Amino acid sequence: MRNPLADVTIPILDDLIESDYVRSLIVGTVGVLGALLVFGALFPDSVAGDLSGIVFSSSTAASTSRLAAPIVLAGLGGIFAEKSGVINIGLEGLLIISAFASVYVASVVGIGNAVLGIPAIWVGFLAGVAASTALAGVFGVVCIEFKADQIIAGLAVWLIALGLAPFMSTVFFGGVNTPNLGARVSWRYSAVMVVVATFASWWALNRTAFGKHLRAAGENPKALDTVGVSVSKVRHAGVLLSGVLSGVGGSALALSIGQFVGSGETMVQGKGFIAIVAYLFGNYNPVGTLGAGVLFAGLDAVQIRLQQLGYAVPDTLVQTIPYVVVIVVLALVGRTRLPEAAGEHYETED
Amino acid sequence: MNPAVHMDGITKRFPGVVANDDVDLAVERGSVHALLGENGAGKTTLMNVLYGLYEPTEGTVFLDGEPQSFDSPRDAIDAGVGMIHQHFMLVDPMTVWENVVLGNEPKTWGGLRVDEDAAREAVVDLSERYGFDVDPDARIEDVSVGVQQRVEILKALYRGADVLILDEPTAVLTPQEVEDLYDVFEELTDQGKTIIFISHKLGEALSAADEITVLRDGVNVGTVATDGVTREELAEMMVGREVLMDPATTPQEPGDRVLEVTDVRAEDDRGVEAVSGVSFEVRAGEVFGIAGVDGNGQSQLVEAITGMREATDGSVTYLGEPMAGASRREHIDRGMAFIPEDRQERGLVMSYDLTENGILGSQHDPPFASGGRLDWRASREHAESVIEQYDVRPPNADAEAESLSGGNQQKFIVGREFERDPDLVVAMHPTRGVDIGSTEFLHDRLLELRAEGKAVLLVSSKLDEVQGLSDRLAVIHEGEFTGVVDPATVTEEEIGLLMAGETLDDDSVEGAAVHDAATDPAGDAETDDDAGGEEVDA
Repeated sequence: MRNPLADVTIPILDDLIESDYVRSLIVGTVGVLGALLVFGALFPDSVAGDLSGIVFSSSTAASTSRLAAPIVLAGLGGIFAEKSGVINIGLEGLLIISAFASVYVASVVGIGNAVLGIPAIWVGFLAGVAASTALAGVFGVVCIEFKADQIIAGLAVWLIALGLAPFMSTVFFGGVNTPNLGARVSWRYSAVMVVVATFASWWALNRTAFGKHLRAAGENPKALDTVGVSVSKVRHAGVLLSGVLSGVGGSALALSIGQFVGSGETMVQGKGFIAIVAYLFGNYNPVGTLGAGVLFAGLDAVQIRLQQLGYAVPDTLVQTIPYVVVIVVLALVGRTRLPEAAGEHYETED
Repeated sequence: MNPAVHMDGITKRFPGVVANDDVDLAVERGSVHALLGENGAGKTTLMNVLYGLYEPTEGTVFLDGEPQSFDSPRDAIDAGVGMIHQHFMLVDPMTVWENVVLGNEPKTWGGLRVDEDAAREAVVDLSERYGFDVDPDARIEDVSVGVQQRVEILKALYRGADVLILDEPTAVLTPQEVEDLYDVFEELTDQGKTIIFISHKLGEALSAADEITVLRDGVNVGTVATDGVTREELAEMMVGREVLMDPATTPQEPGDRVLEVTDVRAEDDRGVEAVSGVSFEVRAGEVFGIAGVDGNGQSQLVEAITGMREATDGSVTYLGEPMAGASRREHIDRGMAFIPEDRQERGLVMSYDLTENGILGSQHDPPFASGGRLDWRASREHAESVIEQYDVRPPNADAEAESLSGGNQQKFIVGREFERDPDLVVAMHPTRGVDIGSTEFLHDRLLELRAEGKAVLLVSSKLDEVQGLSDRLAVIHEGEFTGVVDPATVTEEEIGLLMAGETLDDDSVEGAAVHDAATDPAGDAETDDDAGGEEVDA
C-alpha cells in the first residue's frame, strides 16, 4: 500500500525532498501540530487545550530551539561522516568536549574582555568548535589511517570526553559543574545557526562536487579512487565536518545557559545519540534531520512543561514520551538505507 | 606511423614472482587487440602497467611513439588511456551522468555547484556519437549489466581516452549483450579509438579482435592476425601443448536408473512457475546434458533435484527412493554431489580457508567429524589432496577462498564434490570462468566418473561442452524440454531451434522422452509468442 502522506506537495521545500519517506515525515508532523492547534482552539479547557498552550507558547519555542541546536547540528555532522563511509557514533563526545571547552575558554578570557575584537563568549564559542574538530580529527586519523574499528573508536571518543570534561572542570573550577559565566548566547542565534547549517549542508551534499565525492566514498570508494580522487581525503573531510558541526552544536548548548554541567551524563544527556537517530530518521537528508531534531527537542521541551502541569501521571513516565515517539514513528514510517561501504576500511591498491 | 600503444620489453617482478617477462606489445590505432591467455598468464598485470597501476620493473610504454612514465592511473588517464575493470567501478545509487563525470565534474558558481546541464549534455553527446542508448538520468542500480558497461566506457571517453582497455568484458554479459558490445567496438574503432581487451576465451578473441597476442606464464608467445589462425593453434599457444578441443567419449552401455524425474514443476523466488512439467532419467555411466539459454528454468530444476527447492508438483526418485521432503543433508549423505552455478554464493564460504571449505557438506562424517569435534588434521589432508589432484593455485590449504581466482575456486569445488565418491553428480556450468587447460582437465575427470559408472547431470549454457560430453542432450526452453536429442547426430542449427522454443519433427528426436508440445495448444501458443526474436532458420 502506498503511503498517502507521500503524495502531498509541500510548497517551497518540495525540491529539497528527494524521498517519499522524508515527505511523509514532514507532512505527518505538520498535520499533528495543526490538529493540535485546531483542537486546542476549539476546546481550550481539555488536555488538547493544555497541550496546545504548551506547544505554541514562546517559551516552548525558545527551549525547543535551545535543545534542538545540538541534536540537529550533530546530526548534520553525522550525515557528512557517515555518507563518506565513516560511522561516527562519537557525536555525543564531540558535543561534550565542545560544551566544556567553550565555557572554559570564555571564562579564561573573562566576560567583558575581547580577543582581536571578538567578545569573550564568542571566543569561547570558536574554541568549542576547535576542540570538537580536533577530537574528530584524531578520530578520523585513528579510523582512516590506522583502520581502527569505527564503532569502538567512536565509543572511545564519547568515553574520553565524558571523563575528561568533568575532570578538567574539577581541576580548573573545583567541581564537575563550572560556575555560570553570567552571560549567554541568545536562543535566536542558535535557531539561525541551525537553519543556515541545514540548508548549507543540503547544498553541499546535493549540489557540489564535494557532495558527490562524499557519496561515492561511502557507496563505492573504489569507483572514486579509480577516477583519481583520494578516498582518504574525502573521508577526512567528512569526519572533520562532523567535528565542526557538532562543535557548533555543543558550544551553542552550553553557552545558551552560560555554564557547563558535568554531573551524570553531563548536560549533553545523550543528545549526540539522539542526533544519530535524527539523521537516520531523516534518511540522511539535512531537511529531514532538521525536522526530526526539532520534533525530538520539541517533545523534550513539552514533556518538561507537562511535568509542571501536575497531571496524575508519574514524571518518569512523561519523560519517556520523546523516546516512545521515536519508536512509534520508526515502526510506522519504515527504514533507511545505510551507505554501502559505511563502516568499511578502504585501501588503495598501489 | 607509430603504433597507438607500444609496450617495449616490459618486465614486472613481484617478490618471488615474475608476472611479465620482457613482453613486447604493439597495437595499431583504430584496431581491436585481444590479449589472450590462461588465468595467471600475466594479462592483467601487463594492462595494469599500461594503466599506471604498476610501475614496470624494466621496459617502457610508448603512446603514439612518445615514451611515458605513469606514477598513477591519473597520469594514464591524462595521457588518454582508459580502463574498464571486470568489476565495474560505478556508484549504484547515483545516476548515469553523475557516474560519468565523477571526479571531473563541470562546475559553475565559482565551484559551488556542479553544472548538471553541462554534464548531462556531455553524456548525451558522447552516447549519441558512439551510438550508445543510455538514459543519463537512470540510476545505475536500475539498468542492466550491459548498460553499466557502456557507462564505464562513457566514463573513459569523457576523460578523453583514445586507448580503451577492457578486462574480461564479456564475463558478465548475456550472449545478446556480447553482440552489442562487439558493435560498440566497431563504432569506437571507426572513430579512431584503439581497443585492447583481456580474455581467456578463444571464440571471443577470434570474433572480436583484429590481432591477438597470447601470453603464457608472463611471456609473449606471439602476436597473430585473427584471419590467419585457427582455434586449435591458439589453444596450443595458450596452453603450450596440444589441446583436445573435443573430449573423446567412448560409447558405453548405461546401467541402472539412478535419477528419475517425473513431471516436475517448480516456481522461482517470485512465485512464478519456472519449471513446467519436466521428465527424464539419468542412468549409471551416462552423462545427461541440459542445454538452454540461461534463465529458462535450469536453476529451479536443478534446485528441485538437489533438495534446495520444493517442487510444486511431480516427483524425483533417486536410487529407487522418492526424495520428496528430503533435506539437503540427506541428499548429500545419499551420495548426490552438486556443483552449483554460483560458486561464491553457494559453492564456497569466501572467508573460510580451503581446509574449512574442503569439508563443507561432509562436516558430519568421519574422518572429519569424530566425537563432536572436527579433525583438522584429516580436513587439511583432504584439502591438500584436492588441491594437488585438481591443480588448485596457489597450492595452499590456508588460503582463504576469496583470495583465489574464479577458475581456481571452481576447480576446488569440482574437486571437493568429485572426491565425495558420489553416485550422481549434478554439475551446473562446471567450467564457467575456467581457462581452457583446466576445462580440458575437468572434462576428462567428468568422463572418468562416467567410465566408473557414475551418473552425471550436466547443465551448461556452453553448447560445445554439453554437446561434446553428453550421451543424451535435452534442450530446455521456458521450463519445458523442447527436445531430447542424440548429441552425436544433432546439428547446432537444430539445437538453436530447440533453444528458441521450436520443436523438431526429425528422426534425431527420441520421440518417447520428448515433451509433446504439439498436443499442448496453450504451451505452443506461448512458445511462439515469446520466441519471436530468437527464431533460427533451419
